[in-house]
Amino acid sequence: MRESRIMLVQYVTAAAAIVLVTIHLLMQGVLVPYSLAIDFPHVLSVYRTWVDAALLESLLVVVVVHGFNGLRTILHEWRQGVAWSRWVDRGTIAVIVVVVAYGTRTLILAATGTVVL
Amino acid sequence: MTQNAGGEGADSPSTEKQVKNQRGVLASLNPSGYRLERWAYTFQRVTGLAILVYVLGHIGDTSFFVGGPFGSGPNTSSWSGDIAITANLVGNLILVLVVLVVVFHGINGIRLILSEFGLIFKKPSRPEYPYRAKSQGALQRHIIWLAIVAAILAALWAGSIIMG
Repeated sequence: MRESRIMLVQYVTAAAAIVLVTIHLLMQGVLVPYSLAIDFPHVLSVYRTWVDAALLESLLVVVVVHGFNGLRTILHEWRQGVAWSRWVDRGTIAVIVVVVAYGTRTLILAATGTVVL
Repeated sequence: MTQNAGGEGADSPSTEKQVKNQRGVLASLNPSGYRLERWAYTFQRVTGLAILVYVLGHIGDTSFFVGGPFGSGPNTSSWSGDIAITANLVGNLILVLVVLVVVFHGINGIRLILSEFGLIFKKPSRPEYPYRAKSQGALQRHIIWLAIVAAILAALWAGSIIMG
């Protein structure tokens, strides 16, 4: 992917993150009291409401892609070189896949798993 | 990390200058002696890295809702243990700091997007002494100050909600 296209991804994920993080923060203390927001039954109901779960998954993907692509930019500013650039790009993709997979696993298990008391 | 030429001839004036110009990422992040936009550049990167560290920790700690890395479903005792570790004075202070840096990063990020697409630049003109970048108009600085003030107010608000 061309670097200009990757920067466009960075700006699109930034705009999406602003919307999704604002919703997330409002749901974690403003629209819902903070003590209730971290209460087990409430968190379970959030994971098991498909709109909320979809927003959380979107937030996960957007923030992780934006964050690690930003780190990639810093690493490219830090050092230059063909091998360095190649490994930074590959490492960024690998880390994004692993972190999104781990977060998605939490969402799927919370939405579908059997509750352990 | 510093990258410098080193080796023989390190005392010659040209090499000395070269070494001075290759102080690496720490020098590129040092905004002292520069204008507000350079401070915003440094803060954008530092806050971005801080948020990334928090996000990784948050993805890790919320996984304890389903019993952690080896869990199989929603687990009340695992979640209670996680809340006991994170919902205390230190954890609450971290959340307030996260709100502070997220709000600054977000508003300053909007400024950068608007700049990237040329929406908040002044018209280009011939460089004249003292050669200040005319593209960096007052609006840019106003948005940076807005980001700083909004971040502080949001952090105070978050503190009153979380600890209040």
